[in-house]
Amino acid sequence: MRPDTPIPGANLLADTRHYAWHRPPDIADYDQAVDFMIKKIDDPYETQMVMAMLQIDAQISTIVSTLLLQSVSVGKFGIDLALLTAGPLARYIEIMAKNANTPYEMGIRDKDEIVITPTLLKQALGIVDPDDEPEMPEEETPALEQPTGGLMTMPDEAVAPQDEQMAMLGGVEEEEELEPEDELS
Amino acid sequence: MQFQDAVKKSIEMFLDGKMPEKTAALAESGQLMFTHEYFDLLEEEVLGEPVEKEEEVEDAS
Repeated sequence: MRPDTPIPGANLLADTRHYAWHRPPDIADYDQAVDFMIKKIDDPYETQMVMAMLQIDAQISTIVSTLLLQSVSVGKFGIDLALLTAGPLARYIEIMAKNANTPYEMGIRDKDEIVITPTLLKQALGIVDPDDEPEMPEEETPALEQPTGGLMTMPDEAVAPQDEQMAMLGGVEEEEELEPEDELS
Repeated sequence: MQFQDAVKKSIEMFLDGKMPEKTAALAESGQLMFTHEYFDLLEEEVLGEPVEKEEEVEDAS
């Protein structure tokens, strides 16, 4: 008795050209991708849809995410370029919403939002004197262990660290260039 | 990180005026069209009012 499983090697013979991720994306340029998305939103049907979503209190980040995933799924551009175009697209929808006098919510964390931590709460309640409480240094990220399940195994822990993820999205502060030290002296 | 979270972070960075290093270099050299300035001008043109920019608060201490 054989279970209903794929025949080994069947994938090599199957016609998979219809899958968007099996061919290069149509657009690989930032400007072209943003232009494509703006033209897409400017389509009357899409504009109605976006405005209707804003009117039912959908956040702009959700709308952007939906629109980008649609384009990624049909192979217009890759996920990395989709993430790059998210900001301009959100800004464009924001301008549309302002122009139509539609209230909107961006859906990102407010910069002025105060994050309530246990220390802050204790300070507010007067439990701890802020001068006596030294700040705890941030814990260092432990080094990733080498995968042990085989050469082609995807390690579960192989996720880019937080600072690397932020760097990929443009969240790195510019470092000042230091003058090279004179080694001979 | 989920796609939705990455989109939120990307939007947050863009609205803060930040871009990935290489993209920012292209924007500075004038090779990109859709930059922050483009959308500020577009907003000004569409809404007919200048875009308010947040003033940087300097620490007096």
